[in-house]
Amino acid sequence: MDAAQPFAAARGVVLPRNWATAAGITAALALAVGWPLLIGNPFFITLGTTIALELIGATSLHLLLRMGHISLAHAAFMGIGGYTAVLLRMRMDVPFPFDLIAGALAPALLALVIGPVILRLSGKYFALVTFMSGEIVRLSLTQWSSLTGGANGIFGVPPLVPGLTSGLQFYYLAVLISAVCIALVARLLTGEIGRVMASIRESERLAACSGIPVVRVKVTVFAIASAMVGMQGVLHAHHLHYIDPSAFTSVQSLNFLVMNIIGGADHLIGAVAGAVFLVILPELLRDYQGLQQILFGIILVIVMAGLPGGLVQLIGLGWRAALDLRRRFAA
Amino acid sequence: MTALLEVGGLSRNFGGLAAVSDVSFTVPESEILGLIGPNGAGKTTVVNLISGVIRPSAGRIVFAGRDVTSAAPHRLAAMGLVRTFQSTTVFPARTVRENALRGAYLHSWPGFGQALLGTAAAARKRSSAAREVEMLLEEMGLQPVANHVAGGLPYGFQKMLGIVIALAARPRLVMLDEPVAGLSLEEADQIRNVITRMRDRGVSVIVIDHNMRFISGLCDRLVVLHHGRELAQGSPQKVLSMPDVIAAYLGKRNAAPLHP
Repeated sequence: MDAAQPFAAARGVVLPRNWATAAGITAALALAVGWPLLIGNPFFITLGTTIALELIGATSLHLLLRMGHISLAHAAFMGIGGYTAVLLRMRMDVPFPFDLIAGALAPALLALVIGPVILRLSGKYFALVTFMSGEIVRLSLTQWSSLTGGANGIFGVPPLVPGLTSGLQFYYLAVLISAVCIALVARLLTGEIGRVMASIRESERLAACSGIPVVRVKVTVFAIASAMVGMQGVLHAHHLHYIDPSAFTSVQSLNFLVMNIIGGADHLIGAVAGAVFLVILPELLRDYQGLQQILFGIILVIVMAGLPGGLVQLIGLGWRAALDLRRRFAA
Repeated sequence: MTALLEVGGLSRNFGGLAAVSDVSFTVPESEILGLIGPNGAGKTTVVNLISGVIRPSAGRIVFAGRDVTSAAPHRLAAMGLVRTFQSTTVFPARTVRENALRGAYLHSWPGFGQALLGTAAAARKRSSAAREVEMLLEEMGLQPVANHVAGGLPYGFQKMLGIVIALAARPRLVMLDEPVAGLSLEEADQIRNVITRMRDRGVSVIVIDHNMRFISGLCDRLVVLHHGRELAQGSPQKVLSMPDVIAAYLGKRNAAPLHP
């Protein structure tokens, strides 16, 4: 099956070749759109918004993982995007959508500057350097109080789109931007670009000797991923009407990484499943006060031990079980 | 015949060790050049220097009339200079066909924007590259295993696939680092046939190997390296009967001719 051509014309009707994937995407979109109608409770709308936002970070980090790079600065890029947009809006009255665009461009620009240097590092060295870069960003945001408000952050961030004040409206905006980002990630991972990224991850030497400009491809993808997570930062600040450095620490970067690993880092679906799982899990444990953190950790360990390939393994297991059932009914 | 590749005064030091010093040779179009020498003579280092994997300490490399000293591997590949590696010559987790398609990157890549949008031009490029890859697989006898995962194939197939990946880039000069090491006689013969066929089509080849029988029967010319220096150059018959070359391989006392 040609991954680059998910749709093919058959007898004049355009049918998705991979119907299971298409059905999954349709169901996910339907759930995202219908979610507030099913449960009107504002708490669940906020939860949905959080999921939509975290999906941007998890799937954009997924792009870097698929090139073989584990970045621990992803949340720092998110912070740069968020602060850029908030400061432009609040200090210089830059209107929507230019503040959002600037919030995406600023981290992308930083990625273009440092990418050519740090993307030459591999494995643990890249992880270490990005960890330290992230710390530098966090310290800058904390210490540069005159600009950023320091550790106290900036209160009273106005709505992203003037007039768009309800949580429900913001939910749909977040879902829209998130869906566009995930679609872009999916597009990058298929076809020729996906083939090039996979070549680079599997053997950088062989890729370069086949003519692939390894560093240029990596920097391009790094910049795109940074722009996406920058937008998450912008949305995050407007969602909470507040921005402070604590949301952009290496802990948040690690969260993005854990989402990918829990879900299954070899598949985009894994990143999506992991993000949803990791946002919902603490909410499910709300009732166990005091034990929440411990249970959270234990469940993560159990999932990792039981499903080393991530939550996406469940899809494979479920599929096999369904086939078994069908066989039993047929017999 | 014009020289496709000119290497002049090529040197490379690793710390205090001169791995390659002052090596010069040329490769005309449609020639098979053998690069031989005992272990540690600097053969692989020379190929690494020419292919841009490492940079020379001194010297000049001119390919197709352009100075390419210290040029990056992907730029050289785009100019038509590709290589294989001693080990890790393939993408082991992928099918044979996917491996070959990756080798054809230069002819299937439509540009980032076109690839992102999935334009008709991009589709045309991809399908013409795919057709070319099928022909190449057919010719190299890999068509029957095209859907097999490369890492699961016998070693000889993997070596052949490494050459196919290189050829998919439509090179003008291919450097093969020990293409028959560890292969059976029949497999080595297949590789030999492929190399001569490449030459007959106007592709120049640089071959590194230890197997004297293989090298002397295949190459138009030999360059012998010893301790990083150039020991001799010339036709296989001439070079392999030189006392210095025999001494370098077998020691001074066993000065019998190397060529069978």
